[in-house]
Amino acid sequence: MKRLMLVAAIAVLGFVGWRLFGGSPEGAVRKQLNTVAETTSFNAGETPLARLANAQRLSTFCTLDVAITVDTPRGSQRTFSGRAEVLEAVAGVRSALNGLVVQFLDIEVVVAPDKLSAVANLTARARVPGERDDYIQELKFTMRKIDGDWLISKVETVKTFSLGPAYERRCAALPRQS
Amino acid sequence: MDEKTEAPRNPGWVQILLIGRNPKRTMLRAAITASVMLLVFHGALLPIRVEGISMLPTYQEHKLNFVNRLAYLFHEPRRGDVVSVRTSGKSIMFMKRVVGLPGESIAFKGGRLMINSNVVPEPYLKYPSNWELPPRQLGLGEYYMVGDNRTMPPELHTKGVVERRRILGKVLL
Repeated sequence: MKRLMLVAAIAVLGFVGWRLFGGSPEGAVRKQLNTVAETTSFNAGETPLARLANAQRLSTFCTLDVAITVDTPRGSQRTFSGRAEVLEAVAGVRSALNGLVVQFLDIEVVVAPDKLSAVANLTARARVPGERDDYIQELKFTMRKIDGDWLISKVETVKTFSLGPAYERRCAALPRQS
Repeated sequence: MDEKTEAPRNPGWVQILLIGRNPKRTMLRAAITASVMLLVFHGALLPIRVEGISMLPTYQEHKLNFVNRLAYLFHEPRRGDVVSVRTSGKSIMFMKRVVGLPGESIAFKGGRLMINSNVVPEPYLKYPSNWELPPRQLGLGEYYMVGDNRTMPPELHTKGVVERRRILGKVLL
């Protein structure tokens, strides 16, 4: 009886591990997104060469036709289309900030029945050294499986709090903070 | 007949200290305690730590609190309740005050909360505010949430309409 229970416990743990750490498409997407978060993070004093190399690496996680639409902290919206624009934006952010720590939390993955695309909802937490508050944003990632790799094809902002079109227009019209 | 009766062995003081005189009973107690703790802190009460200044002075930063997830089992959120709003999960939640209920129109004029064009007093506000926000009509299952600290410009304060499904529970303390 004891042996049977032990075997059952090992089987359950194995299944959970397989689901969590890459055995399943969900696990593979989760792992890929965690790698994206790690690559997005950087320390102060990144050399220009390292900055370019890391930005280049980050762009390889995206499909060629990637579309990223994100809300800025002041409420306006920015869109980046294609790898080249993403690369430029990432390099710009890395040179403007004095370090960044990005975490993707509570990643919920839904894989399409054909197992070639997936949608991941997550909460991103970004911490800039020296700034008082973290930047929290819910994001929706659409991923496509190309040549065995899960690549980001679309990123959209999910609004936890919606403000209404009139207010959002007003925020978008505000001058951008430097 | 040579019968030996073995006297019951007295447990050492280390054993008594660690697992008690009766290990089976201690194990059972520990299991029950762990189950109750899991049920309370995962099911009914969610421990949280306050970060940020948007609920000042009602809730100070870095203080611990709990979310009562059973608060809205028998009634819906009410105006003035401080609730937790979930994101994609429960690792990060927003703590906000409910000021607008489904079907109402919400606006801010001169820093004062207007519900259906009438001024609503907010005794919990301690800092002055000069917010001017256009009316927003709430639909079914929509609540308007805002923090108590409205000293910053409105565009820098996280607030707005939240769907009922995102409200996890009421802040306990």
